[in-house]
Amino acid sequence: MTLRDLVLVRLGVALNLVIGQIVAALLLPVYLDSVGTILVAALVGPRAAITAGLVSQVLNAVISGNFSWLPFALVQVVIALYAAAAARLGLFRRLGTAVPAGVGMGFTAAACSAPISYFLFGGVTAGGVTAVTTVLRALGAPLGVAVAAASFSTDLLDKAIACALVCVVLRSLPRTLAARFPGLAR
Amino acid sequence: MIGYVPGASALHRAHPYTTLAAAAALLMGAFAMTGPLEVWVLVAAAAVFAAVGGVLRASARTALLLSLPVWVLLFVLHGLLGPDPRVAVGPVVLSAPGLARALVLGGRLAAIVLGFLTALAAVSPHRLVEAMTADGAPFGRAFLLASTLTVLPRMRERAARILEAQQCRGLRLRGSPLSRLKALVPLALPLVLGALAEVDEQVLALDARGAASGARRTALEPPRDSTWQRALRWTLLLFVVAAYAWKFWRLRR
Repeated sequence: MTLRDLVLVRLGVALNLVIGQIVAALLLPVYLDSVGTILVAALVGPRAAITAGLVSQVLNAVISGNFSWLPFALVQVVIALYAAAAARLGLFRRLGTAVPAGVGMGFTAAACSAPISYFLFGGVTAGGVTAVTTVLRALGAPLGVAVAAASFSTDLLDKAIACALVCVVLRSLPRTLAARFPGLAR
Repeated sequence: MIGYVPGASALHRAHPYTTLAAAAALLMGAFAMTGPLEVWVLVAAAAVFAAVGGVLRASARTALLLSLPVWVLLFVLHGLLGPDPRVAVGPVVLSAPGLARALVLGGRLAAIVLGFLTALAAVSPHRLVEAMTADGAPFGRAFLLASTLTVLPRMRERAARILEAQQCRGLRLRGSPLSRLKALVPLALPLVLGALAEVDEQVLALDARGAASGARRTALEPPRDSTWQRALRWTLLLFVVAAYAWKFWRLRR
């Protein structure tokens, strides 16, 4: 990895961890904790994005003290690979393609996170998702179905917004700045 | 308490890899254990680990604060809404298998959180970077772990400044979900573009410090490693392998 990649990975990690501050101020029902990973994937490529995702997961655990969520690092790897592929296909160039790409990413991420949540944590993970799981369970849905439905409903919206935001960022980059990132030239 | 607590305990003096290996073994072991008793024995082991580090009280308090909301959710989701058969516990009727599962999952969380909070309290980030440097770890690895933590407060401060500035310009943070979603762009965009504009400057600064050189760096104060600590780390690895072998052997039976 070049020095530029390293600095961008650090930026991506910081963005993953700090964007929550803005989301909390707006009281939005999403996390957007993979915006940095998606941005790094679009600017540099999959290797740097995977590093950004994994480091984000570790540092998030270090900051929050909750290390039991470390197995969800696998989801960050999947997001990084998907985002790199989407960027290569040029899906972040327009909002019209970025949002469906985000929905697809949410579907893929949920397909990865739901089994981890169900088998390792019995469906009890982050507050909002668990609240949805509990409501569905109370309504009579089997635990597996409740966990999957909660994961899919939150991830689809979260990743669609994250991809749309990355698209807006890439479109807003001044030409001089955009020219410095080889990933955008493709 | 989350973070390094200066001290002179055996864990503080140990090689950082040994303390981290113990915490990692607790994490891996917790996922290998499937019965309530086994998991809570592991929680006791995590408590002993914290006591050896001299941070039992502080770590246990933080671990309790972090685990308590999850324990409540586990109780509701598995104890109250779990499958039959049900048992009466005082005035409440609870799911017997759900309660056992909640005990396993709750204990697992407690062991992992307590183990890593102890490791965080006992491993100085500076000593960890020194150990990695002495070990010949690439510059990037140490840079990402140590430097990102220092850049976070700066990014947080910048995000707070942008939030205040945009509010001064009339940006409304309340309203319908759609209007709040629209407000995301004027808040997030300056944060990201500002950070991207600084990338080249940071690359130059790192280059000037010789970060691009592939030469092996010399650690100023490398932590002392010893044969028994290396043996302990291998033993912990064997413990994890044995725990998973036991788990899968029981699953197949």
